[in-house]
Amino acid sequence: MDFNLPGEDDPRRIKVRKWFEENPDPTYAQLAEQGWTASNWPEPWGVGADAEMQWIIDEEIVRAGLQLPYTINAIALNQCGQSLLSYGTEAQRQKFLPGALACEEIWCMLFSEPSGGSDLGALRTTARREGDHYIVNGHKIWTSVADQASVGVLVARTDPSKPKHAGLSMFLIDMKSPGVTVNPIIDMTGNKNEYNEVFLDDVKIPADALLGKEGEGWKLTMEQLQTERVGMTKPGVVWGMGPTARDLMDGLIETGRISDPLLRDDAAKVYIEGEILRLLTYRNMTNRINGTPAGFEGSAGKMLSSPHGQRMADIAKRSQGAAGMIRDPDVLPLPDKKWGMFSNWDYAYWFSPANTLGVGTQEVLLNVVAERVLGLPRDLDPTARVPFSEISNATAKAAE
Amino acid sequence: MNFSLSEDHEFLRDSAAKFVDEQVDLAPLLRPGADVSEAGYDRLWDKITELGWSAIMVPEAYGGLGMDYIDLVMIIGEIGRTLAPSPLFGTLAGAWAIEAAGSEAQKMEHLAKLAEGMKFALAVADENGSYSNMETDVVAKQASGGYELSGTKSFVVDAASADKLVVSALNNGQKEYFIVDAAADGLKIDILQWRDITRQVCKVEFDGVSAERLEASRDDVWPWVRDRLYLVLAAESAAGIRAVLNDAVAYAKERVAFGRPIGAYQAIKHQLANIAGAAEGANAMVQYAAWALSENDERASIAAAMAQSYGSEQYKEATHRNIQVFGAIGFTWEMKNHLYYKRARCNAELLGAPASQREQVVRLLERQAA
Repeated sequence: MDFNLPGEDDPRRIKVRKWFEENPDPTYAQLAEQGWTASNWPEPWGVGADAEMQWIIDEEIVRAGLQLPYTINAIALNQCGQSLLSYGTEAQRQKFLPGALACEEIWCMLFSEPSGGSDLGALRTTARREGDHYIVNGHKIWTSVADQASVGVLVARTDPSKPKHAGLSMFLIDMKSPGVTVNPIIDMTGNKNEYNEVFLDDVKIPADALLGKEGEGWKLTMEQLQTERVGMTKPGVVWGMGPTARDLMDGLIETGRISDPLLRDDAAKVYIEGEILRLLTYRNMTNRINGTPAGFEGSAGKMLSSPHGQRMADIAKRSQGAAGMIRDPDVLPLPDKKWGMFSNWDYAYWFSPANTLGVGTQEVLLNVVAERVLGLPRDLDPTARVPFSEISNATAKAAE
Repeated sequence: MNFSLSEDHEFLRDSAAKFVDEQVDLAPLLRPGADVSEAGYDRLWDKITELGWSAIMVPEAYGGLGMDYIDLVMIIGEIGRTLAPSPLFGTLAGAWAIEAAGSEAQKMEHLAKLAEGMKFALAVADENGSYSNMETDVVAKQASGGYELSGTKSFVVDAASADKLVVSALNNGQKEYFIVDAAADGLKIDILQWRDITRQVCKVEFDGVSAERLEASRDDVWPWVRDRLYLVLAAESAAGIRAVLNDAVAYAKERVAFGRPIGAYQAIKHQLANIAGAAEGANAMVQYAAWALSENDERASIAAAMAQSYGSEQYKEATHRNIQVFGAIGFTWEMKNHLYYKRARCNAELLGAPASQREQVVRLLERQAA
């Protein structure tokens, strides 16, 4: 057992740092040439970096003053891109991956719909095969970065005669296709939109946009959500990103606010939770280095990190009292503004209700842990085994 | 970075598990009105000595096994998981105090006896359970050929089982450490009606008890020992959380209400999922603290205090949820649920409340920042 991270004198680090010295202000395309925008992917896309090497490369990217690639093009580099390595065709890889890795083509995830997010398998968007095309119709919502994306990873129903999970397929679509309309959703923070709704009206997509086989959509979706949740098992305030409880504690100590007896103990609790999440990150790194399957942190880390982030943001606000209720000015210092939009406790706090909504509500995650980790009986779903086309409100009512 | 157990650690844990699963019998404690005298407290000691558990941490130079804190928590976890009654906690505490406060010769003499089955206890707290007891502590007076101790200690774990007691006492206003023989004249040991009947906790009165001064006594002996005792309690707690979770999950799969196992209902399954998160967190923190103490890492004290506060608080919560899932049957003396509930509750007070360890964490962080 060893909790030491690769140090400043690590030869692997020195090599990476030397490249940055020789290539000041690199573009993401240059980083992608080095295989560093998704360093854990196999060559030629990445460098097959193990978790420690990936840690080093990421640290050096930040040190060079750049935003981490997987925070710029998260859907491609973290959640979905790797599905192309396992399920895509060579033509799909050549078409989609270079632009994604260079962070020149941003991807979005067309999953949730107005009629259901937690019950994603009940989605209603259809893709109907017509010759060498599919015609897509439906309405997606809560789609991050859809307004910047050129590629959409779409889950749609290709076979309504099958039960709900079995009739789904996954596609990679051009977001500039005729019939795609993206509208921003202004969330409760009032800041620039994170989310969008996407209307798909008779969108014609080529048949070779299908990823994997027809009917494999649910399997691919689950793998991608799982990857996304592992990525969220980090100590940052919003979905693992942003400042951590260590930064919170530093700020409280620096401002002297830690001596508030009504705050002190709760701040310590949040600090300890943050350290636990840090440890789970380390365990995840270890499992990846050793090639052992993801442990508890794989399925349940987000269950811990989401409410932790909410408690952390709440302490930051409490430390400011009424002054914290004014928009934006942060009294609590965050000297290191390296976290993009979450480099601001105010935004993090008003955004934090989303922690326990996005990528599966907290309630759904608790079900996942109870059922898959603890082996408890599954929740009843009277619609799980009937053909999707026969599910009606009457079926649902009858099951009550 | 390598956050995984070695094969040696797993082997040690598995063999400890086999031993306690075969040997620990809580049945006598499940008869209504039972107390710690029926726990068979010393029954496993010969075997524990043979396995070397009490000397596992003692350097080889003093006749111990010279293993590290990660090895220790493998064993303590199994002891904690099964609530195995034995005077191991007290013996570890006394041995650590001797390691910290004894001269080389004293360490050679006393620690070597662990291999022969010697049992220790460590008496620090006063009658109010305070460890910062400069006003109320036992007083040491120089006497012919050594010292004599007078005063009262309480919350001394395993004192009635011990062969020797290590005692903090004031010598000319300085807090120092002494060894007394448990059978010495003037020493009176009463077993308290401690609610956790799997653990022996005692009050000890000293009336001019002849004592040997530990020659290397210094101010930070107690904090040094306390960090290690935090780890022991935290390891018990982490394993205990897992144990009560497993029991509750098994019961929730069996017990049927309204036509389904109760574990099918979200009101139950969500509680159990949350305990699973706490079990994982507590275990990760224990292993980290064990590593940090083994490496003498600069964050070792913070890690130990974090492990104890998180572990004991989550253990309290988990044992309460466990009783709730079992329903009224879990509230009866004949079920073992209450033994875990009481162990958890007592672990969260024995060395100070979880909030006091969090205060230590914040103070250490404040000192680092200064």
